[in-house]
Amino acid sequence: MLRNYIKIAWRNLWKSKGYSALNIGGLAIGMASAALILLWVANEMSFDMFHSKRDRLYIAANQSVFNGELQTWFTTAKPLGPALNAEFPDIAHTSRYSTYNGVLLTVGDKKLTANGAFVDSAFLEMFDFPLLIGDKHIALNRPSDIVITQSLAKRLFGNEEAVGKTLQLDTLDVATVSGVLKDLPGNTRFRDIEYLLPWSYMEKIGFSDDYWGNNSVQTYVELVPNASRHAVGEKIRDIVIRHSDGQQDNEVLLHALPDWWLRSKYENGHIAGGRIEMVRLFGVIAGFILLIACINFMNLSTARSEKRAKEVGIRKVAGAYRRSLIGQFISESILLAFIAGLIALVIVLATLPAFGGLVERDISIGFDSPYFWLSGAAFVLLTGLLAGSYPAFFLSAFNPVNVLKGTFRRVNAVFNPRKILVVIQFSIAIILIIGTVVLHRQIQYGKDRENGYNKNNLVYVFEMGEVTKNSSLIKNELLSNGIAESVTRTSSPLTEGWSNSWGFEWQGKQPDDKTVFDRFCVDEHIVETAGLTLVEGRDFDLSKYPTDSLGIILNESAVKAMGFQAPIGQLIKDNGKEWHVIGVVKDFIMRSPFDPIDPLVIEGAAGWFNAIHIKFNPALSTSDALRKTEDIFKRYNPNYPFEYTFVDDAYAEKFAETQRTGTLAGLFAFLTVFISCLGLFGLAAYMAENRTKEIGVRKVLGASVYAITRLLSKEFVLLVLIACVIAFPIAYWAMDNFLQTFDYRISLGWGIFVISGLGALTLALITVSSHALRAAMANPVDSLRDE
Amino acid sequence: MIKITELQKFYRTEEVETVALNNLSIHVAAGEFVAVMGPSGCGKSTLLNIVGLLDDLDNGSYLFNNIEVAKFNERKRSDLRKHNIGFVFQSFNLIDELTVFENVELPLIYTKVPASERKKRVEEVLEKVQIMHRRNHFPQQLSGGQQQRVAVARAVVNNPKLILADEPTGNLDSNNGNEVMQLLTELNEQGTTIVMVTHSEHDARYADRIIRMLDGQVLMETVG
Repeated sequence: MLRNYIKIAWRNLWKSKGYSALNIGGLAIGMASAALILLWVANEMSFDMFHSKRDRLYIAANQSVFNGELQTWFTTAKPLGPALNAEFPDIAHTSRYSTYNGVLLTVGDKKLTANGAFVDSAFLEMFDFPLLIGDKHIALNRPSDIVITQSLAKRLFGNEEAVGKTLQLDTLDVATVSGVLKDLPGNTRFRDIEYLLPWSYMEKIGFSDDYWGNNSVQTYVELVPNASRHAVGEKIRDIVIRHSDGQQDNEVLLHALPDWWLRSKYENGHIAGGRIEMVRLFGVIAGFILLIACINFMNLSTARSEKRAKEVGIRKVAGAYRRSLIGQFISESILLAFIAGLIALVIVLATLPAFGGLVERDISIGFDSPYFWLSGAAFVLLTGLLAGSYPAFFLSAFNPVNVLKGTFRRVNAVFNPRKILVVIQFSIAIILIIGTVVLHRQIQYGKDRENGYNKNNLVYVFEMGEVTKNSSLIKNELLSNGIAESVTRTSSPLTEGWSNSWGFEWQGKQPDDKTVFDRFCVDEHIVETAGLTLVEGRDFDLSKYPTDSLGIILNESAVKAMGFQAPIGQLIKDNGKEWHVIGVVKDFIMRSPFDPIDPLVIEGAAGWFNAIHIKFNPALSTSDALRKTEDIFKRYNPNYPFEYTFVDDAYAEKFAETQRTGTLAGLFAFLTVFISCLGLFGLAAYMAENRTKEIGVRKVLGASVYAITRLLSKEFVLLVLIACVIAFPIAYWAMDNFLQTFDYRISLGWGIFVISGLGALTLALITVSSHALRAAMANPVDSLRDE
Repeated sequence: MIKITELQKFYRTEEVETVALNNLSIHVAAGEFVAVMGPSGCGKSTLLNIVGLLDDLDNGSYLFNNIEVAKFNERKRSDLRKHNIGFVFQSFNLIDELTVFENVELPLIYTKVPASERKKRVEEVLEKVQIMHRRNHFPQQLSGGQQQRVAVARAVVNNPKLILADEPTGNLDSNNGNEVMQLLTELNEQGTTIVMVTHSEHDARYADRIIRMLDGQVLMETVG
């Protein structure tokens, strides 16, 4: 029987090639889009889930109340890990983790920079990052050990055996390779790591400390099997308070591995989502796209029902049960879904690299995994069932008497299921269009926001190797040679806040005030270099005012937060030093352009430095200025490559994540609209075909081409208008909720809705009117000849 | 074989109720060849559909081989139909996407006859209606007469006890029409009961008995 079904399905497909192509094509595009999204979803959900101890691994987090709000953050004090390990038998291992990037690795003539981290020796026992060569139990025991990835080993040592070889770290030390790590997979939070250094080395070079108030590293915790997270959590809660003799009031909690990637946002001490929201959103979009493609299938199948009605009648007369007819039509749609699935697979394979680039993930298809084939089969089956069930019930319900006597007629009710399905399709499409428009406007709004500094011709270079030592010489050369207008050493790039504190003290501070201030250190001339706007006071100038090394410039928010009426001359204590305010600048954006600007304290030359900002002389071309700057850096820091970043680019990077979401949303909105229009195209063709005689009669009676085109398009226009009415409130609700996540946001004007609705309407009209026009322009004699 | 008593059938729309069959009673014995005649709209096709269990009756009794089938559900009707009744239509009603062989094979698939047996029986019946040489053709590639012969072959392939023919020659020229009538007569002679709706006095003459209908009732019966 199945053979008979497949045969007739195949012949039907072949007979109406155009519609089959529309049907299968739409389904394939829908399946491919949904599959791409689901692959991404699966990738997101797999983050760090491959560790065999995933049920026992945690990251320690701190919690404390700031101005009435319980805040949670994932950096901890360096002594926390060893203390947890020593005091609680339920804790099997701990490892601290601190990134150590941009280090110059030298092997003979080979010099390169790579990203790495300091970890405790238990790190490799806790996580499933296998060593290809070496013993994970001892690989990080000595301060001179280094574990490198196989890629880094290849880059440094070629095909030679790496273990036992030495390499130079910066200009400081020599490390011996004690293990070669299999390259880290793309779905781990540690994926950027290329080498691991033992914590004992960090202690040796003086980067470690025992201060319980400096929360600067991550602490990973592995519990013994069957230990209760709750019980351990209760015991460790006050460890920081105890060890700091009450000077620190933050409590420690354990955040479980399965939540690391997707649920790391805390609100008032409880998990309140995170990336999971994005994953859910795109999961829903995948479902919608598949549904829309299935709706096309349903509509085209039921619209063409007259072609199949006779067959249904004959089969019933020949003794077919309704059940077996349902089975027949569903197996037909599964066959179609299978063909569409194969095409979708080709589309996915062809677009996966580009899609992976877009979402910045290394996504691949596991052809060797039975899980892939099972889920692929389930996907095809589900699509076939979803698409085929309604037509199957619809077609199998035909009364053989009617269809065989030729009295069977299409019903053109006011609300038939087909119309409802078109309305559903367009409602979803319009919601996605509105979402995309809102997202893009929001991004543009952030971009247009006054950022408070002049990004033009401004670059920064990280201080690596000899740069710190030679910074004065480099500065002098840049200025005296007319390459730069102004040069400033800073603690971080201007576009990133690396340090903050609630420990500042000033006159009039309330004892319970825990306002967090961003901390940014500069040597001098920051107002000039960055093009900040001075509100009062002056810029740092060490040559004129040597005491500026302990000077401070506040932004306006900081002045407000400290409650200063006359800020200049006020004294502020920080890090055991007393600083004096020399100026106030307008607020400028260091962190997210969508957030309010935090109060900021810019400390003078007594602070610390990691980068040099250079404002190029506008009289020089940028390439010229860069080349000359590189020459100077090469001279004073010969071992390191000259790497620079335009502040402009760094600022644009702030929009990357939102922009990526916007691009994805736009892409899938486009596909949704495209698939919906494909369906509409097929429906319109059928409608025109079915009404050929009516159109002929109307033309004979004097109807114009315009009147007929309007008649045929009217129905679809009405459906899209109904879809607008349904989509607008849903989209408003969804986008209003979405915009609430931004402090700095657009307001939802009616313009966005009108534009989206008009867009959908125009597309639908274009799709439908070609058929309508063709039908209207046909010679009525042809259509009425058989009468 | 067929005993219908006081059969009533109505067609209802929102505005009107039309009586299609009104207190109609007929009896068809096994092995009979009965022709049903009457003007368009008199209810003869409705009667045939009810006899063939394709349509419901509103009132009355229908005994098929002494079993009351009037209240049978869809599934039971299907079962009874596929084992006992074959249909021949005016417009042939072959599935365009299936070949001659596959069209004829269809009822055997639904009665779960094994493939080898199906092949044998289809070939036998195609030989009988002399269309074997066209077994792999599609319906559109055949003449009207040939298509109706295929339809007859399909109706008899399951060896039904009853064949219901609804104007089987209505779309055929007289030569082809006669051939089809000849076929039906031969089947009747081999023991198959035949009920045929027709407008043609010529065709009706092949029958043992003619039932004439008017306005949903039997007007008269004549023995041929």
